[in-house]
Amino acid sequence: MNAEAQKSAGFLGRGPVFWMAMFVVSIAALATLKLTGAIEGPALLILGLASMGLMVPAVLAGERRGCASQAMVKYNRRILIASFGYVLGLGIAMAVWNTYQPSGPVVFFLALLPTLPTFMMIWAMGRYLIDEDDKYLRFRTVQAALISLGFVLAIGIFWGFLETFELVPHIWAWWVLPVWAIGLGVAQLVMKVRGG
Amino acid sequence: MKNRLKVLRAERDWSQQDLADRLSVSRQSVNAIEKGRYDPSLPLAFTISEVFGLPIEEIFSRD
Repeated sequence: MNAEAQKSAGFLGRGPVFWMAMFVVSIAALATLKLTGAIEGPALLILGLASMGLMVPAVLAGERRGCASQAMVKYNRRILIASFGYVLGLGIAMAVWNTYQPSGPVVFFLALLPTLPTFMMIWAMGRYLIDEDDKYLRFRTVQAALISLGFVLAIGIFWGFLETFELVPHIWAWWVLPVWAIGLGVAQLVMKVRGG
Repeated sequence: MKNRLKVLRAERDWSQQDLADRLSVSRQSVNAIEKGRYDPSLPLAFTISEVFGLPIEEIFSRD
C-alpha cells in the first residue's frame, strides 16, 4: 500500500489518533458525569461500554494504516477484549455489590470479575514481548514499561507515606494498573515526540 | 556508532519503509538506526550488508 492510500485508509476516513482522542474525551466526560452524580448504575455501565466501543475503530484504523506490527495487532485485539471484559466485570460486580450487599465467598468471586480481565491485560503485554520479532520495537516497549514502573513505584511509596502521616486519604491498591497503563502511554508518547 | 544508511538509501532512491520491507523490520527501526539512537543486532547488521551489497565496515563505523 502506498503512502497516500495508507493515509486515506483508517476507519471512516479517520486515523487511530482521532479515535483514541474520541475515546479519551468520552472517558473524561463519563468520569465527570459520575463524579457529579449525574449518572449511576446501569446507565454508567452502558455508557462505559459505549466509550470502550470507540477503541474498536481506533484499533482497526491503526491496522488498516499499517502502523502496527503483527504482534502489535494481536496485542491490541487482546487488550480490546480484556478492556470490554473489565468494564463489564466491574459494572456487574458493582451492581451486585450495591444491590444485594453480599458477603462471604460470593464477594471473593465478585472481586474476580474485574480482576481476571486485568490479568489478561498483563498476560497480553508479556505475550507481546515474546511475539514481537522487531528488536527495536521490543526494546522501546520494555523501556516504556520500565519508565512507567518507576513512575508507579515513586507515586506509590510517596502516597503511602503521606497516607501513613494522615495527609492524604486512603486509596485502593487496584490503582496501580491504571496508573501504570497511563505511565506506559505517556512514556511511549514522549518517545514518539522525541523521534523514536 | 556512525552509519551511512541514509546516504546509501538515498543513492538507491529508497524510502525508510522500502528499506524496512527489505530488512523485514519496522520503519521505526530503520529511523532509529539511521539517527544513531539504536545499534542493530549482529544478524540485522549482516542483513543490511547483504541488502546494500557492501561489507559491514563500509556501512558502519565507530564514533
